[in-house]
Amino acid sequence: MTEQVARVEEKQFVVFQLSKETYGVDIAKVWEIITMQPITKVPHTAEFIEGILNLRGRVIPVIDLRKRFGLPQDEFTRSTRIVVIEISGNTLGMIVDGVSEVLRISSDIVEAPPPAISNVDADYLEGVAKLEDRLIILLNLDKVLNKQEKIELENVG
Amino acid sequence: MGLQFDASPDEIKLFLEEAEEHLQLLEEDLVRLEKEKDNQELLQAIFRAAHTLKGSSATLGHQRMAQLTHGMENILDKVRKGQLSITTPIMDVLLEGLDFLKVLKEEIETLEESDVDLEKILGSLSKAAAGGQTASSAAEGKLATIPEGSTAVTEVAAAVQAAEPAVPSMALDWDEKDHVTRGKKQGKMAYSILVNLAETSEMLSVRALLTLMALRENGEIVKSIPSSEEIEREEATSVLHVALISDRAKDQIVHVLKELPDVVRVEAAPLDITREEAGASAPDGVTVAKTTVAANEQANAPLPKDETPGNGNGSAKIKDTKIAKVSRTVRVDVELLDNLMNLVGELVIDRTRLAQLLGALESKYDSNDLVEDLNRTSVHIGRVTTLLQEEIMKARMLPVESLFNKFPRMMRDLSQQAGKDIEFIMEGQETELDRSIIEEIGDPLIHLLRNAVDHAIEPPEERVAKGKKPQGYVKLSARHEENHIIISVKEDGRGIDPDKIRASAVKKGIITEEVARRLNDQEAINLIFASGLSTAAKVSEVSGRGVGMDVVRNNLEKVNGSVEIVTELGKGTEFIIKLPLTLAIIRALMVSVDSRVYAIPLGSVLETIRLTDGQIKEINKREAIVVRGRVLPLLRVKELFNHQTRGVRESGKTFVVVVNLGGQQMGLVVDSLIGEQEVVIKTLGKFIGDVQGVAGATILGDGSVALIVDVPSLVKKVVKVG
Repeated sequence: MTEQVARVEEKQFVVFQLSKETYGVDIAKVWEIITMQPITKVPHTAEFIEGILNLRGRVIPVIDLRKRFGLPQDEFTRSTRIVVIEISGNTLGMIVDGVSEVLRISSDIVEAPPPAISNVDADYLEGVAKLEDRLIILLNLDKVLNKQEKIELENVG
Repeated sequence: MGLQFDASPDEIKLFLEEAEEHLQLLEEDLVRLEKEKDNQELLQAIFRAAHTLKGSSATLGHQRMAQLTHGMENILDKVRKGQLSITTPIMDVLLEGLDFLKVLKEEIETLEESDVDLEKILGSLSKAAAGGQTASSAAEGKLATIPEGSTAVTEVAAAVQAAEPAVPSMALDWDEKDHVTRGKKQGKMAYSILVNLAETSEMLSVRALLTLMALRENGEIVKSIPSSEEIEREEATSVLHVALISDRAKDQIVHVLKELPDVVRVEAAPLDITREEAGASAPDGVTVAKTTVAANEQANAPLPKDETPGNGNGSAKIKDTKIAKVSRTVRVDVELLDNLMNLVGELVIDRTRLAQLLGALESKYDSNDLVEDLNRTSVHIGRVTTLLQEEIMKARMLPVESLFNKFPRMMRDLSQQAGKDIEFIMEGQETELDRSIIEEIGDPLIHLLRNAVDHAIEPPEERVAKGKKPQGYVKLSARHEENHIIISVKEDGRGIDPDKIRASAVKKGIITEEVARRLNDQEAINLIFASGLSTAAKVSEVSGRGVGMDVVRNNLEKVNGSVEIVTELGKGTEFIIKLPLTLAIIRALMVSVDSRVYAIPLGSVLETIRLTDGQIKEINKREAIVVRGRVLPLLRVKELFNHQTRGVRESGKTFVVVVNLGGQQMGLVVDSLIGEQEVVIKTLGKFIGDVQGVAGATILGDGSVALIVDVPSLVKKVVKVG
C-alpha cells in the first residue's frame, strides 16, 4: 500500500511540441531553454546531430529531435527552441518546435506507453499522461540517447 | 591474489604520490652517488628518502615494501657510517632493490600481489650489508637477537627505564582537563599510561597506531604524545604517552597492551590532573602506583634476522633534523587545473566579445559617459583576464626535469647491457612545459634514447677503428624557442644512411623501387617514421618493446608536436622535437569555406598560396599543384567536410594552405584567409566523440563555434590513399 501512495506523486514536466504531438520531459533533467542559435555543423556524424553550439563558453552538441524520431522535416520558426538537458554527465541541446508550458503531472494519470505511438519507438517513452483534453507523451531521456546509440554515433565519425 | 590496505582511498593516493616522488629521488640520487662517492649530503638525502618510504609503507600496512626499504636502509646506513664503501655490486643491489620497490608500489595501485621474489632480494641486500660489517658486527649481532631472548628484552627495558622518568606529566590543557573531570564524574578512572615499543621495530608508527587503537577500545583517549596525527606523519617515537579515561581496571588495560606485538614495557598510573583535585578523585591514592611490565611473550612479530638496530639511532637523528617546515606549495588535482583553464578560456572569449560590443556601443552613442566608463572597465577586465590566463598556464607548467630524471638510471643500465661506453648529458631540465604534454612525450623520448644506445652509438672498438673517441655521448636537451619548446636527442653515433633506409623500405614493400629513387635523402630518412620499418637487423631486449618510430611520431603529433631528423653518416644524429607550450590554447590560422570558419593550427602551416585558374592539375586521379617543382596533393576542405553547397565552383579566388607534417606536405583548399588568432581548444564532447579531420572546436569572438582542423589525420589520409 505504501508503494501505491508513493506512486501518486506530482512531478513537473517541461512540455513542448514536436510535429503534431505534445511531449514532456522531467524538469529535473532540463538545464535551460534557449531560442534558436547559429549551429556549427560537424561533418561525419549521425544525421540527427545538428551540430554544436556555444552555450556561454561551453561547446555542446545539439540534436534535432524530429530527425531523431524520424518525424517529417520542417523549417525552423520563431517558436523553435533548444531544450538544453543534462543526461549522464553530458549536456546537450534538443531542437523542438516550441516549448509551451511547465505542467505538474501527478503519476496516477500516467499510463504505461502503448506498444507503438506516433512513430516514436516505445523504448523512449516513460509513459503517456492523460489530461482532460490532451495526451502528453513523457520521454525517457536516458533512452532517447542510450548507450548503444552513443557508441554507434562515435563509430560514425 | 588481491591485496588490501588499511587506509582510505585518499590516503592511498597520497601515499602513491609521495612514494613516486621518493622512488624518483632515490633513483636519481643513487645514480649520482655512484659518481660522487664522497658526497655526504647526497647520501643523507638518499637515506632520508628510503627512510620516509619505509615509514609510510609500514603505516599503510605494506609489510613487504617496508621490509625491503628496511634492507636497503641498512646498507645505506653502513655506507654512511663508513662501514661499507660504494662499489658497483653494492650499487647494483641497491638499484635492484629499487626496481623491486617500484613493483611493490604498483601492487598498491593494482591491489594485485606481484610475484616478486622478495626473499631473494632481501637475501642479497643483507649479504651486501654483511659484506661491510667490521668491528661493530659483534656488538650488533648481539643486539640483533633481542626479540628472541627475554633477558635481552629486560635489558632493553631497563635501559629505557633508566633513560626515561616513569610516567611523566602530560601537560594537559584546560579542555583536556575538563574532559578528564567529566569522565571521572561518570565514575570512570583516568590513567596516565606510558608504553615503550621495541626501538628496533621496523614499523614503529604502525605499532604506535595499533597501541592507540587498542586503548581506544578500552576507553577514551584524552591526549596522546605523540598524537595519532603525528604518528601518521611518521613522527612516531618508541615511547608513547597516553592520557586515558576508562571504566576498566588498570591491570586489565596493562594486560591488553602487553599482548600487542613489539610492546616492550607498559606503565600505568592514575592520572593526576591538577593539584587542587588531587586526592579528591584519584581512587588509587595520590601516590603513583607504578606497574612495570616487561613484556616477555612479545615475540609475536619476530624481526628479520638481518635486522640491525643501527638504523634506530639513524632514524632518530633524521627525525630531529626533520623540523616541521611549512611548505610553500600545495598539491592540486590536475582536473582542477583543467577546469580553471577552461573557465579562463571562457573569460578569454568573453573578453573578445566585450570589446566587440563596446565597439558597437561607441559607434552608436559616441562619447557617452556611461560608455566611457564601460570602456575603462572593459579594458581592465581584459588586462586581468590576460594575467589570469598567463598565471594559470604557468600553474600547469612543470619543469621537464620531472621527466628527464628517470633517464640517467635508464641510460646507465642500457649502456651496461649493450656493452657500450656512453656519456649521458642532460641540459635544460628547468625548461617548463604543460604537464599534459610532459605525460605524452615520455614514451617517445625513451624510445629515442634506447635507439641511440642500442643502434646509434658504436661499441668502443668500432669507434676507435673509425677514429672516434671510445666513449660516445648522448645528449638530451630542452630549450625554449619562440612559442615552442625544443627537445633534442643528439648523439655522435653512426648516423642514418639514407640508402639503407631506401633499400629496407623497398624490401619491406613500403615504397616501390621507383619511388625510392625519386626520394631525396631527407625524405628517405623521414621514412624511418613509416610503420613497419626498422633498420636494425636484430631486435634487442632494449628496443624490443614493440614501439616503433611511427609511434614516436604519432605520440608527438597527438600533442601538436613534430619531430625532425638531422643526421650525418658516421658523425651522428639529432632528433629535434618541437612542442607547443600548452595544449589548451593554440595559435591558429582562421580560414573560411562557404562562409564557415575553420581553424588550422599554425604549428603545421608552412605557407599559403593564392590559386590561379588552371593551376590545379590532376595527377593519379587526384588534384595537386606544383609548387617550386614539388607536387603537392590537394584536399578540398569543402569536400572533406561534406559541405552541401551546390554548384558553386571556385570563382578564381581560392587559397591553398600548405600544411606540413613530419616532412609530408599537402595543400588544403579554402575560400579565403581570415587571419591568425589565439584559440581555446574545446573537445566535441563524449556524445559526438572523435570525428575524422576534426581536432576539436573553438569559440570565436562573435560567439559562434568553429571547428579546428586535425592536420595529422588529414595528411595521413592523403598519404595513405596516394
